[in-house]
Amino acid sequence: MKTWKILLTAAFGFAFAAHAWAQTTTLRIFTGGQQRPDVMRKIADEYQKKNPNVKVEVEVGGATSEAQQQYLSTVLSSKDSVLDVILIDVIRPAQWAAQGWAEPLDAYLGADKAKVMSQYLKAYADADQVNGKLIALPYFADSQFLYYRKDLLEKYKRPAPRTWDEMIETAKIIMDGEKSPQLQGFSTAGSPIEGTVCTYLVPLWGAGSDLTRDGKLNLDTPQAREPFQLYGRMKQAGVLPKNIAEIPTDRIRIDMQGGNLIFGMTWGYVWNRLENDADSKVKGKIGVTMLPHDQGGKSATCIGGWQLAVSAFSKNKAEAVKFVRWLSSPEVSKMQAVMASHMPVFPSVYKDAEVLKANPWFADALPVVEGAKSRPVSAQYPQVSDVIRSNMNAYLAGTKTTDVAINDMKTRLAPILR
Amino acid sequence: MSAPVPGGHHDLSERALGAILLAPAALLLLVIVVYPIATLFWTSLHTTDPANPAAGETFAGLANYLRAFDDDRFWHATWNTVLYIVVTVPGALVLGLGLALLANFPFRIKWPVRLGLLLPWALPLVFAGLIFRWFFEYNTGIVNDLLGRAGIEPLQWLSSPTLAFVAIAIAIIWKASSFMALMLLAGLQTIPKSLYEAAEVDGASKWQQFREITLPMLRPAIFVALIFRTITAIQTFDIPFAMTGGGPGDATETLAMYIHKTTLDFLDFGYGSALAALMFILSMVATSGYLRYTRRSSGRGSE
Repeated sequence: MKTWKILLTAAFGFAFAAHAWAQTTTLRIFTGGQQRPDVMRKIADEYQKKNPNVKVEVEVGGATSEAQQQYLSTVLSSKDSVLDVILIDVIRPAQWAAQGWAEPLDAYLGADKAKVMSQYLKAYADADQVNGKLIALPYFADSQFLYYRKDLLEKYKRPAPRTWDEMIETAKIIMDGEKSPQLQGFSTAGSPIEGTVCTYLVPLWGAGSDLTRDGKLNLDTPQAREPFQLYGRMKQAGVLPKNIAEIPTDRIRIDMQGGNLIFGMTWGYVWNRLENDADSKVKGKIGVTMLPHDQGGKSATCIGGWQLAVSAFSKNKAEAVKFVRWLSSPEVSKMQAVMASHMPVFPSVYKDAEVLKANPWFADALPVVEGAKSRPVSAQYPQVSDVIRSNMNAYLAGTKTTDVAINDMKTRLAPILR
Repeated sequence: MSAPVPGGHHDLSERALGAILLAPAALLLLVIVVYPIATLFWTSLHTTDPANPAAGETFAGLANYLRAFDDDRFWHATWNTVLYIVVTVPGALVLGLGLALLANFPFRIKWPVRLGLLLPWALPLVFAGLIFRWFFEYNTGIVNDLLGRAGIEPLQWLSSPTLAFVAIAIAIIWKASSFMALMLLAGLQTIPKSLYEAAEVDGASKWQQFREITLPMLRPAIFVALIFRTITAIQTFDIPFAMTGGGPGDATETLAMYIHKTTLDFLDFGYGSALAALMFILSMVATSGYLRYTRRSSGRGSE
């Protein structure tokens, strides 16, 4: 009798264990160090609660977009199946499509594809489809804004600047008035990293031009020189940090957070950190507005944001797609907006009361994101990026003149952007 | 080892045993050394269309090598690498020799000096690069802080090509000298004390002892250290990568950094492999130069 009971219990136990083992899928998602992996973890926990058969592991990569891609290139070039879902920069889908690294999602969406894609901000629906193939789904939107010290501008009775020259003037007035050697006027990404591509492109677009025109390289225009001249003017006015050529993206946030920066051209995530980090000296003192432009020009900004791709080498593609569909939902968009000031990829979420409570400036941000422009789309984007950022960096460091930088950009971009 | 046994049969089995004993090591070398190097050369003869990598690779002969000779950036990176070798190899040797002599000094408590030697060596290169990057940082770095206390304007260490080179060279010399010192210390400890005692009796000064005993006896250790250091200097990557990322522009980019960029950023494996093969040849030339020199000088020594 007793033996019989034990045997039965054991049999049930085995059956249950085998059942649970067969049903548990482990998904591994890759995200960058600057894309709030802590928030990703919370979101993944939420998903695990709803799907007890799925376990999500969050792998955290480098802080910059290119450091992450270097690692991913190694993993994916060797067709490693270790990653299931990968967070990629909005500049990458063309390269990922060409390399065959992402599982195309069209078949999984089936007849719903057009309907699903129409709910997103158009820029992201466009960016994630390459030659008609859906490479990724949007996770969060982003673009650059002008962050400014509301308190200092009020103290010196200056309005939020509309033009670059106004901004330089305001920065100088405040710097002269405050007399603090730590206080810097304006900062943007200047070290040879991906963000520095936008440092060149924003004033170029603001002057009404673009890197290419009708698919051809367009650097013979006077507008192509404008970004160099603008930063040259800022340098002369003493508004730019002397070490601008050493500044990576997150340094702008750190300087702002320490109260050492009046104006910063940077991305959406910064707001949450400035308002909520324990060591922030500028809580409640920050305003966010559109980037300035030239006299007679129009404000322009770089589109950023992060996309969810399913690895072509994943062994759990169906489960991974299910997870991605949920991550790319209005529900998660809202969670991210509240927890990390990540900008939603659905226009509707910008009007959500809780989202607006956490990020009052989102009320005016939607048209800015909708108007944000794309960096050049190319399967060889890493080369394009390298040319622009290293020349911008050399100019900011003072080792290249405008003429030399433009010339070098033309020679090295010509074979890629024919 | 064993006494010679007449008859070919036994000889053969001994040879067979030797082959069997060598096989695992040979196999390991084949898999982890020969195979990757062969693959590298094979890849360097191929090219992929970067705009359409799905089309696969095609045989390109020596096209990638010819491309390198026309590539200004390759020559610039090679030149930078040569500069790092010329500056940091002797720099690390001199500093390392000093450290080794210090560590060899008969202190009563030896461990603090030896620990001081081991720590920089045990530190990962990227850490060393990051530490020195903060030392030379413009606003908060200790170097500019010291300059400021001395009444000197802060310098843009990492965004001026010359200063960035100086800063990187200092970091490399600091990191490499402890390895040099460890190798030289091992050499110093093989020198018999009796030689110094004899010199002492003959009335030789400390400087004479150093020149006539220490340096000549240390020569083999110096050569081995130089070969190792030169090869790692040819591969200089981590410290400039962490300190400047090759900037400003690509002013401080080394050959290894350019290879890294070509393969992992641009995914141009054919060209990247050709550049790596050229770097390999550079290493071989440098090493064989040293080896030839040591063979000649050791030959002279035995006359």
